Amino acid sequence: MTDHHAAPPRRSANTRRFFNSAGLHVVLIALSFTLFLPFVWMVLTSLKSLEEVGLESWLPGEGGWNFSNYIEVFRQIPFARYFINSIFVATWVTLLQVFTSSMAAFAFARLNWPGRDKVFLLYLSTMMLPGLVMMIPNYQIMITLGLVDTLPGLILPAAFSAFGTFLLRQFMLTIPSALDEAAEIDGASKWRLFWDIILPMTRPGLITLAIFTFMGNYHSFFWPLVMLRTQERYTLPIGLLYFDSSAGQETNLLMAAVTMSIVPLLIVFVVLQKYLIKGIQLGAVKG
Amino acid sequence: MASSIKQRRNTLTALFFLAPNIIGVLTFVVFPVLFSILLAFTNWDLRKHNMFKDESLEFVGFENFVRLLTEADFMRYLGNTLFLMMGIPVSIGGALFAALLLSKDSHGGNRRVFAWLATSAVLVASCAMLAAVGMAGTGMVILLTGVAAGIMITGVFGGMTVYRTLFYTPHFVAGVATFLLWKKLYNPQTGPINAALQPVLDVLATSVNAVPPPTVYALTWGCLGLMLALAAWCMNWLRAQWRDGEIGTQAAIVPCVFVLLPTVIGLLWGQTQGLAWVLLIGLAAFGGWQMIQITTRGRDFTCPRGEGFGSSLMICLAVMVLQFIALGFAAVFLNLPGMAADGLDAPEWISNYDWAKPSLMIMGLWAAIGSNNMLLYLAALTNIPPELYEAADIDGASRRQRFWHVTWPQLAPTTFFISVMATIGGLQGGFEMARTMTQGGPAGATTTLSYFIYIEGFETGRLSFAAAVAWALFILVFGLTLFNWKFGNKYVND
Repeated sequence: MTDHHAAPPRRSANTRRFFNSAGLHVVLIALSFTLFLPFVWMVLTSLKSLEEVGLESWLPGEGGWNFSNYIEVFRQIPFARYFINSIFVATWVTLLQVFTSSMAAFAFARLNWPGRDKVFLLYLSTMMLPGLVMMIPNYQIMITLGLVDTLPGLILPAAFSAFGTFLLRQFMLTIPSALDEAAEIDGASKWRLFWDIILPMTRPGLITLAIFTFMGNYHSFFWPLVMLRTQERYTLPIGLLYFDSSAGQETNLLMAAVTMSIVPLLIVFVVLQKYLIKGIQLGAVKG
Repeated sequence: MASSIKQRRNTLTALFFLAPNIIGVLTFVVFPVLFSILLAFTNWDLRKHNMFKDESLEFVGFENFVRLLTEADFMRYLGNTLFLMMGIPVSIGGALFAALLLSKDSHGGNRRVFAWLATSAVLVASCAMLAAVGMAGTGMVILLTGVAAGIMITGVFGGMTVYRTLFYTPHFVAGVATFLLWKKLYNPQTGPINAALQPVLDVLATSVNAVPPPTVYALTWGCLGLMLALAAWCMNWLRAQWRDGEIGTQAAIVPCVFVLLPTVIGLLWGQTQGLAWVLLIGLAAFGGWQMIQITTRGRDFTCPRGEGFGSSLMICLAVMVLQFIALGFAAVFLNLPGMAADGLDAPEWISNYDWAKPSLMIMGLWAAIGSNNMLLYLAALTNIPPELYEAADIDGASRRQRFWHVTWPQLAPTTFFISVMATIGGLQGGFEMARTMTQGGPAGATTTLSYFIYIEGFETGRLSFAAAVAWALFILVFGLTLFNWKFGNKYVND
C-alpha cells in the first residue's frame, strides 16, 4: 500500500540520481582520459620508426609496429645495467634505512632513558634542514672517502634519515605497552622484545617506509647526477638523458626507454596501492 | 645506587639501538650542515682553490651574502621560483576537486541506478566504437575512442578505485622519465600538442580576422573586468568575514596585497595601452564603496588580531592566481587581432622565454591533480562526520553553502598541512625540470634557486657562494614555515 504512494517519487529520485552519477562519471572519465593521453602517446611513439616520429598521426604508419625499438635501446645504451644499478641502490638504501630507523624508533618509542624526548626533538629538527644545504659538504666527504663515482657513494648519504625514525616511532607508539611488561616478566632481552614482538607488529609501517624510500631513490636524480661519471655505474634517470643528448636524438628510442622505466613503477603501484595510500594518509599525522 | 645502575643500563641499551642511525645522521646530515655554515663564510672557489692552484682559503665574513643580495641573479631566480610556485594553489585546488569527485558514490546509490549506468555506459561505448570504425575514422581516432571507451567501461564497473588509480598514476611515475616525455610533447615541430593545436589556431585566426576588432577588444575588457570582479569579490568576502568576526583585522588586510597585485601589474602593463585609467577608476570606485561599508556598518563580532590568517591567505592566493590568468587572457585578446592578421602560430612552449614557465606549470598540474594531496583530502573527506551534513540539510543549506560552511572548514587542517609542505617543496623545487627540460633557459627563465645552487656548486665551482645561496634558501623556507605555523595553526585549532 505504501508502495503505491511511494512509487512515483522514488522513480523520479532514481532518475535524478542516475543523471547525477552519470554526470559525475562523465567528468571523471574526461579527466582520467586527459591525464592518461601522454602515456598513450608515449607507448605509440615508442613503436614508431624514426621517420614517422614527427608525423601527426599517433599510430605507427607504413613502417609497422617497431617492437625492435625496445631491443635497440639495449643495444645503444647498457639499459639493463642502469636498471640493475637503480634497483641495487634503491634496495640497499631501503634495507639500511628500514633497519637503522626501526632500531632508533624502538629506542625512542619503547625504551626509557634520560633525555629521550629532548634528543628526539633535536632529531626531528634535522628534518627541517633542506637537502640542498648538505649536498656540497657531502660531496667533499665523498671525495675524502674516495666514494665519488661509486654506487656505495649513492647509497650511504641516503641510508640514514630522521624521517624514517619519526614515521616508525609513530607506528610503534600505537602498540600497547602491556606487551613490553609481559616480555620483561618472561625475562626477554630488549633485543628479543624488539626483534620478535615490536618489529612484526610494526609491519605496515615498515612496508610503508620501504615503499617510500624505494620509490624516492629509484627516482633520485640530483645526487647520482653529481656523483656519477662512468657510464657503467649510471642509474636509470641519468641513463635516460642519453637519448636526449646530442649523441642520441631518437625520440622513438627515448620513449621506449621511458616506457620501460615507468612500467615497473606501475606494477609496483598497482600491487602495493593499498599500503601506499594508508602510508601517505598516516604520514600526514605529523602535521 | 641500584636505580643509577639501572639508568646507566637503560642508556646503554638505548645507545645500542640508536647507534647505527645516529652515526649515519651525524656523518651525513649534521656534520655537512655545520660544515656548510662554515663554507658559506669563506671564499672557497674551485677555480682558485684546487690541486694546481692553491691560493689560501680565508674567511670573508658576510661577503657571499652581500654579493647574493646585490648581484641581480639571486633575486631574479628567486622571482622565477616564486612565479612557478603560483601553480601551487591551482594544484591544491585541482587535488581538492579530484578528491571531492572521488569521495562521491560511484554507483548512484542503489542497484537499479547502477544497472542503468552500466547499461548506458556499454551502449555509449559500443556506439562510439561503431561510429569511429563505421565512419572510416583514421586509426588514431579509433584508438583514442577505444581508450576512452575502455576507461568508461572499467570506470563504471570498477568504481572510484579505477579513477583513483588513473588520477594517481602521473604523480607516481613523475620523475626524469616523465619530464623527458613532456619535453617531447612540448616540442614545437614534432610534438603532438602543437600538432593538435595548430588546426584550432588556424580556425581561430580566420574567425578573428572575420569579426570586427571591437568584438575582440570587448573580450579584452571582459577579461579585465573579470579580473577586477575577482578582486572585488575577494575583498568583499574578506570584509564579510571580518564583519562576522571570522577573521581578525590583520588577516583581513594583509592578504589584500595579493589580491591587488594583479591589478597593480595590470596598471604597469596598461600604462602604454591606455587601460590604466579604467583599472584605476574601477579600483578607486570599489575601494571607496568598501570604505563606506566598513565605516558605516563596522563589524558585528570582534575577533582577535591575526585570527583566521590561514584561511584568508589561501583563498586570496587562489584568487590572485585566477586574476593573473584573466590578465594573461586580456593581454592575449588585446594582441590577438595584430597577431592573427598573418595566421596564428602555436607557442613554442619551453623554448620560448614567456611560455617556458607556464609550460612547466601546466606539466606540474598534470602531475599534481592526482597527487598525495588528493589522497590526503580524500581521507579527510571521509572523516567528516555525516551528522554535520545532515544538520546542514535540515537548515536547508544549498550545495555551495554545504561546501563553504561544512566541508571547507572541516578540511582546514589538511589544507594547512598541504600548503605548508607544498611551500617548502616549491621553494626547493624546479631542479629536475630545469636540468632535464630547459637547462634553466631560455635565457634563465626557468632557473630556480635549486638549479642555481647546482650550477654554482657543481658546474661553476663557487662552493662558498652556492652554500650561501643554499642557506639563504633555508632561511626563506624556515621563515615561511614559521609564518605558516604562527598564523595557520590558530585557524586550524578553531
